[in-house]
Amino acid sequence: MQALRTAATGMAAQQMNVEVISNNIANMNTVGFKKQRAEFQDLLYQTVAQAGAQSSDQGTIVPTGVQIGAGVKTGSVYRIGTQGAMTATGNQYDLAISGRGYFQVLTPSGDLAYTRAGNLSTNDQGQLVTQDGYQVQPAISIPPNAVQVAISPSGQVQVTQPGSPIPSVIGQLELASFTNEGGLSLQGGNLLKETAASGAATTGTPGNQGFGTLLQGYTEASNVDPVTEITSLIVAQRAYEMNSKVISTADNMLGVANQVKT
Amino acid sequence: MDNALYVGLSRQMVLKREMDIVANNIANADTNGFKFESLMTKETPARPASTSQGPNPVRFVTAAGVARDFSQGNLRRTDGALDLAVDGAGFFKVTTKAGERFTRDGHFRTDETGRVVTQAGAVVADEGGGEINIDPTKAGEITISPDGVVSQGSERIGKIGVFTFASLSALEKTGDNLYQNASNQPATATTDAKIRQGMLESSNVNPIVQITRMIEVNRAYESVTQMMGAQSALSRDSIARLGKLQ
Repeated sequence: MQALRTAATGMAAQQMNVEVISNNIANMNTVGFKKQRAEFQDLLYQTVAQAGAQSSDQGTIVPTGVQIGAGVKTGSVYRIGTQGAMTATGNQYDLAISGRGYFQVLTPSGDLAYTRAGNLSTNDQGQLVTQDGYQVQPAISIPPNAVQVAISPSGQVQVTQPGSPIPSVIGQLELASFTNEGGLSLQGGNLLKETAASGAATTGTPGNQGFGTLLQGYTEASNVDPVTEITSLIVAQRAYEMNSKVISTADNMLGVANQVKT
Repeated sequence: MDNALYVGLSRQMVLKREMDIVANNIANADTNGFKFESLMTKETPARPASTSQGPNPVRFVTAAGVARDFSQGNLRRTDGALDLAVDGAGFFKVTTKAGERFTRDGHFRTDETGRVVTQAGAVVADEGGGEINIDPTKAGEITISPDGVVSQGSERIGKIGVFTFASLSALEKTGDNLYQNASNQPATATTDAKIRQGMLESSNVNPIVQITRMIEVNRAYESVTQMMGAQSALSRDSIARLGKLQ
């Protein structure tokens, strides 16, 4: 009976939906996290009677066909890249991107990865690194005797050193942007990687056309809205229950059919 | 006298098909732009054994077609710049590898060259059937007006096409939220429908109606099966009694 399999695809889809929602809720407080949403599509249709087929020699046609659907599948799980709220931290190495763009990070494998999580630190050599110790590109080294570090909205890094009242420029941060941000692949650890679908990265100075600006002393909070997530969770649970009801009903019908011959 | 059994069987087959359709509706209760379906049935006269027997009272039931309800689904706010919903009658036109398709699922994105495409990568057509290109290097938010005009910043870069048909019954579903035009009637661009940016159209499946329909189907199946059981018992009894009289 098709209804059994159709309802099973419905349950599988809703299970996937709950997995995506639970990941969003789990990452509610992850810096720079972008919420995800599962979107569904209907599966193939079995055409039992073809619409538009000739129904007589006089050229009359069948106005509507009979098509039986086979259920549902997950069409895409996509990231919603809306801006997260700015959270003041007071930490001079915390950077939030206001607008488009990603920080470029050099991973241990030598590849570039991209992130919105700007909670940076310095390592033992004074280089600007992520919380995992991966270097931010282009590399910025903070002199060990720096009294204060100032990062402008356009990404210019200035340090004040003892004995000199005028801050000196030691580097320029750059951002990367993509034609299709949704095509970036998630790597975990707040990192994303370029794929054929995302297109090649375009780098540029913050504040330039097509790039956001930097905000020192802030981090970008996750854009997960708990109320929306909980509502989606309720909807997913009820949809799951309904599909299970279809399975038990189809099973009941098969049981009834089995009892005809007594 | 087996007619009753066969009439019952035709009813069982139709109910099973209807159950398949209800299951598909429920499975797609959360699918963007999905339109629910129901089965239409018709009575089909059985061929008389001979004309001299007069009018033949036996009628079977068969599936006549699937009725698709194209009523508007609820619009759900997503805030995606390329999430579009058609408010009113009409479809987006997309070009897949298999050819031209129509959809109500306006969950679009840009591909690596900046074209507006569906999640599966099918190119979305503008009002004249061309492509819409977004230049990622340019600043400016993408705004789409209710009549479908796409602007990047203050520059107009295209217009999303919405198409309608004289008769929607000739549309065939091909899965992936797409419809195929199975007839030779042309798709005509329309300006009656409004495009809502940052919204997606939910499925128009009403779960309560579907669950109720499912219960009805289940009970109808049980009662027709009971009738067939009674018919079968009647045959069995008559055979047993006639056997005794001998």
